[in-house]
Amino acid sequence: MSSLTKIPAGVQYFFDDEARLRREVERRVMSVFAGWSYDEIILPMFDYHDLFARGMGADQAERTYRFTDRDGALLALRPELTSLVARTVATRFLRRARPIRLCYSGEVFRYDEPAERAAREFHQLGVEHIGQPGAAADIEILLVATEAISSLGIRDFRIALAHVDFFNGVSEYLQLRDADRARLRELIDRRNSQALDEFLQQRAPQVEAERRRGFCRLTQIAGKQDALDGARAVLVNERSRAAVEELARVYATLDALGLAEHFDIDLGDAGGLEYYTGLTFKVYAPGWGAEIGGGGRYDHLIGNFGAPEPAVGFSLSLDALTGARAGSRSNPAQQSSDDAEHIARGDDYAEAFRAAREVRLRGGKVIVKSS
Amino acid sequence: MLTIAISKGRMQDATLALFARAGIEAKEEALRSRRLLIETADGRCSFIFVKPGDVPTYVEYGVADAGVCGRDVLLESRAEVHEPLDLKLGYCRLAVAGRREVLGEDYNLLATVRVATKFPRITSEYFHERGIPIEVITLSGSVEIAPLLGLSDRVVDLVETGRTLRENGLEVIDVIMESTARLIVNRASFHLKREEISRLIADVGAVVE
Repeated sequence: MSSLTKIPAGVQYFFDDEARLRREVERRVMSVFAGWSYDEIILPMFDYHDLFARGMGADQAERTYRFTDRDGALLALRPELTSLVARTVATRFLRRARPIRLCYSGEVFRYDEPAERAAREFHQLGVEHIGQPGAAADIEILLVATEAISSLGIRDFRIALAHVDFFNGVSEYLQLRDADRARLRELIDRRNSQALDEFLQQRAPQVEAERRRGFCRLTQIAGKQDALDGARAVLVNERSRAAVEELARVYATLDALGLAEHFDIDLGDAGGLEYYTGLTFKVYAPGWGAEIGGGGRYDHLIGNFGAPEPAVGFSLSLDALTGARAGSRSNPAQQSSDDAEHIARGDDYAEAFRAAREVRLRGGKVIVKSS
Repeated sequence: MLTIAISKGRMQDATLALFARAGIEAKEEALRSRRLLIETADGRCSFIFVKPGDVPTYVEYGVADAGVCGRDVLLESRAEVHEPLDLKLGYCRLAVAGRREVLGEDYNLLATVRVATKFPRITSEYFHERGIPIEVITLSGSVEIAPLLGLSDRVVDLVETGRTLRENGLEVIDVIMESTARLIVNRASFHLKREEISRLIADVGAVVE
C-alpha cells in the first residue's frame, strides 16, 4: 500500500467548514475561559514519559506514543495536559499568589484500545484551578463549563455530578479485598444492578436487604434532589456521608443559580478513582454518543511534582463539541470565498497586486484571479 | 423517542415478545414487513433490526439509545455501554470443543493450539490466562467444521443444545461462560434521556421471568 494514499489510523485532517467550525468553537470556549480570568498556558507536544507516569499513573502512561531522545531518555507525546500544568505549577509558580487559574487548548495523543474505532489524536480545551480547596472552586469551574457549552448554542446538555468518596466510603465499610473492590466498581459502572445485588448479598451479608436494594437502585439511575435524599437513606459511614453532603451543597448552589436543569446527581459513576479526590463530573450533549468532557477535584496530583496543593479542573473535547454543534441547526462558521473582492490579474502583475493590497489595507477580503 | 437495536435471528422473537409484555409493541403488519426500522404502536420507541454482533456498536456510538444482545457478543465487543438488565432469555454457553477422538490429548502440551472461532478476543483471553499459546482462526460461521477439515485443533463457539457439535463429531471440553440476553444502554442517552431510559428499565425489568 502506498503511503501517499494510506493514512495512519486515528489521525485526522480538517478543511472547509469543518476547519472553520473547529476554530470558531475553540475561540468561543477560550474566550469564556478568559472571561473567568483563566490565563492561557501553552504546553510542549512531548515531554519525558516519566512525567506522565507520575501524573496519571503507569496504566495511563502505557497508552502513550513513546520514542527516545538523542541521549536515550524515554519521551512521550502528551496523552493529556493536566500533568504538564501540574508540574509547571509545582516547580515554576512557587511564588505566585493562589489560587492560580490556567486554561489550555491543544491536541493530545493516546493509543486507545480497541484502536480501530478510536481517534488517537484529540483536541482538548480545559481549565485548572489550583490552590483552593472546597466547594467554591468546584462550583466556579462548573459554571465555567456550563457557560462554555452554552456559548456554542448547545442546549439540553447534562452534567452528571458524582463524588469519589461515595464509592470509597462504601467499599471501605464493606472491607472488600482489591479484586472484590474492582468487581463492585465494574458492576456499578455497568449499572448492572441485579448482579450488584447478588454480589452484595454474598460479600456483604451484614447489610440489611432494604438498604442493599436502596443502594442498587441509587447507583442504577441518576437523579436530582431525589438522588441526594435516597443517598442519605442508605449511607453507611462518615466518608460517604461527607461526600453526599458536599454534593448537596454544590447542587443547592447550582439550583439557586437557576441551573438545576443541566445538572444530575449520579452516584453510579465510579470512574477516575485513581486520580480524583472529590467531586467528579461528566458532560453529555445531544448528538454525541459519549461524554463530551469531564473533570473533577484532584488534590493529590500536584504533590507528585512538589508540595501538595488542592486543585480542580475539567476539559472538553473539541472533537465532541464540534460534533454536537454540527448537529444543531445553525453553523456559525459557514463562510466561503464568495464574499471576497475579485481582482483580475492581467500581464501587469504590479497593477493587479497593488489593487489587491489596497483591498487588504482597507481590511477587505481579496482573491486574485488569473484572467 | 428511544431507538432500540434488536438482534436479528436466534433471540429476535423472544426479545420482541418480552418488550410486548412490557407494553412496548410493534405493529403486527410492520413486523411482517422486511423493514429494518419500525416504530412501536404508541410511538414511544423505534426498533432497528441488526446483526447480533453489531448491536453493541450501534449502542456504543449512540445511534441506538438501547439494545438487546447476548452477553457473549457484548464481552467480545468490549463496548463501553451500560448493562442494566439481564433479560434471562436466549440462554447458551460459550464453550471450547474438540474432536471426540483427541479429547484425551492435553492441549497444554501442544506447541501452539489452533482455535477456530467467531469470538477472537474472548478466545485469546481464555487461552492466555491459562498460559497456552494459540493461533486464533477467525471465521464468521460454520465453525464446527474447522476441526473436521483439519483447519483447527479446537473451536470456541456458542452451544445451545449441543446437537450441532455432536453431529459434527465434537464434544465440549470446557465452558468459558454462560450467556443470556442483556439490555444495554448508551452512556450519553442514559443521561440525556434519563426519564425515558428509567421507564424502559422499569417496564422491561418488571416482566423479566
